[in-house]
Amino acid sequence: MTLAHGRAAEFFEGARRTRRQIVTPEGVALALDLADHGERIIAFVLDFFIWTVLTLAIYIPIISLAGTGSTSTLIAVSIALFLGFVVRNLYFVFFELAWRGATPGKRWTGLRVIDRAGGPLLPSAVIARNLTREIEMFIPLGILLSWGNTAGGSPDWESLAIALWALFFAALPLTNRDRMRGGDLIAGTMVIWLPRRALSRDLVERTMRFTFSEEQLRAYGAFELQVLEDLLRHRDRPESVRLYNEVCDKICRRIGWTQAILAAEVPTFLRDFYTAERAFLEREKLYGKVRADKHAQPGRKGEGKGVHQ
Amino acid sequence: MTVIEASLERALPGCGAAGTEIILKSSEFRRGREQSWRELESLIDRAEQRGVHALSLEEMQRLPILYRAALSSLSVARAIALDRDLLLYLESLALRSFLWVYAPRVSLIEALRAFFGRELPAAVRSARWHILLAAVCMVVGTMAGYMLVAQDESWFSSLVPSGLAGGRGPASTQADLRDKEIFAPWPGVIESFGLFANFLFSHNTTVGILAFGLGLAAGIPTIILTVYQGLPLGAMLALHHHRELGLDFLGWLSIHGITELAALTLFSAGGLLIAEKIIFPGHYSRIENLSLHGRIAGQIAAGAVVMLFVAAILEGGLRQLVQSTPWRFVIGFSVGILWLVYFSWSGRSARP
Repeated sequence: MTLAHGRAAEFFEGARRTRRQIVTPEGVALALDLADHGERIIAFVLDFFIWTVLTLAIYIPIISLAGTGSTSTLIAVSIALFLGFVVRNLYFVFFELAWRGATPGKRWTGLRVIDRAGGPLLPSAVIARNLTREIEMFIPLGILLSWGNTAGGSPDWESLAIALWALFFAALPLTNRDRMRGGDLIAGTMVIWLPRRALSRDLVERTMRFTFSEEQLRAYGAFELQVLEDLLRHRDRPESVRLYNEVCDKICRRIGWTQAILAAEVPTFLRDFYTAERAFLEREKLYGKVRADKHAQPGRKGEGKGVHQ
Repeated sequence: MTVIEASLERALPGCGAAGTEIILKSSEFRRGREQSWRELESLIDRAEQRGVHALSLEEMQRLPILYRAALSSLSVARAIALDRDLLLYLESLALRSFLWVYAPRVSLIEALRAFFGRELPAAVRSARWHILLAAVCMVVGTMAGYMLVAQDESWFSSLVPSGLAGGRGPASTQADLRDKEIFAPWPGVIESFGLFANFLFSHNTTVGILAFGLGLAAGIPTIILTVYQGLPLGAMLALHHHRELGLDFLGWLSIHGITELAALTLFSAGGLLIAEKIIFPGHYSRIENLSLHGRIAGQIAAGAVVMLFVAAILEGGLRQLVQSTPWRFVIGFSVGILWLVYFSWSGRSARP
């Protein structure tokens, strides 16, 4: 994995992302973030909501338009039933085909269905993974919704047995490493988290007001650099000013910076330090001396050993 | 040594005056390539938002070039850059373009034609033993239902759900069954094509999908459900046979029933196929094996949904329009033979 997925990722995102890897035909390995259970539930709830609204939008006007005549009501009800059925069964298939593996709910939560082996997502896979949705989602949901009606005095063994089936399918994503539900298993697909990322501007300054010696720059590694980068990219947080001052003090102490820094100059100092540190570490990286964090010991022995802040 | 490297060397160890110039290699690299990344990003954005037709021919031609440039940028950035923002951006951009560039570019029409012309019949042919097993299950269920009701008609109400029975039962007389069901007058276009077809279409599809999906639970529920589907059929047959309407009932049923029962058999066969791949994974892991063969099962099930649709139309429209038993047999069996020919021969010569 690259540094972008190393300790910094763990630091910023927690340990929650599970990663897989595919290799493109060009031979470049790309990292995939598996979708969380929570994200998938949210995506499904969003889709379910849209689906319900769509169905109601079909039912209500048709049935109210039809009036009370027995023949016209019959036509209306049958058209409404038919459209409702089509919407329910084709909603997911249609969107996953047309939007390349995303339904509206998935798009809002940044999820994507992909082929597990990294191949193209074929129409047959989309059809296969959504046909099983009926048994995994809609039937258990129906049972849950009708639970209140069947709850009589004695335990309803039939509902209980069906509920166990439902639990079995609901628990499927929890039982495998790739968080696949039944439909994913059949179709050979998995769901990944693929948000649209924007490219912010480069933080590097061309002209530096402060300069640092190589010895000073040796104090930190890539992890600290990327934490500093994150700090500098979010200047408008309410606690930024306090954080800037604290970080500035810490850096000064560690690298042995003796000159006083005015409060107004703190951001400039941090930016200059970031630029110099990055230039230094990137140069070291080119020569094969990757320094992951401040505890790492590149090249020379004994350096930075046991140093904790 | 390049100019950039040289300037870097000069700047770094320097404890010189304020205002030192510094040029980073990764920064220069980014400045040189950024425009092509932005271009690729806007193409992918538009394609994701509005589909492939949002891109012009020229843009479609540029897409693979830009994609490969972005991949190479990513490789370089991984080697030289420590800018987390840049690395994450390139990773995400490369993956998004990868998914787009290698997505199958077939129109819906082409996909449908390939599906019905080649994939579906081939899938059905490859599952012939599963279909046979499912059919045997259904026949066993039918025979059991027949024998139970033939012995004692009070079984009827417990074997046939009231929704399916539609008022028929041990109390029905021969005249009831003949005039209200089998040779009932045609209720008109609206009623027959409307509610009836709809209700049966979605009810049967749900049952069929249930049998299919339960294949994931190792197939035992699929077999039970398939046998269970045969029970009401046998029960009805026995009821009509007792009232000397056996042949007429079969004719009444065959017009749509052949298609419908074939569809339900296909659903069960798909479920059994899934079950087989789970129970006997062969050289692969269970999950790998399932994804290798699961699509075939999915194709069979999708084809079965279409067959149920045809069955519902036949049932709603033709059944009460054709009032003679021989003609009903003729129509039912010719449709059945059409299905057989289609599944046996269609797409055989076509290369995949």
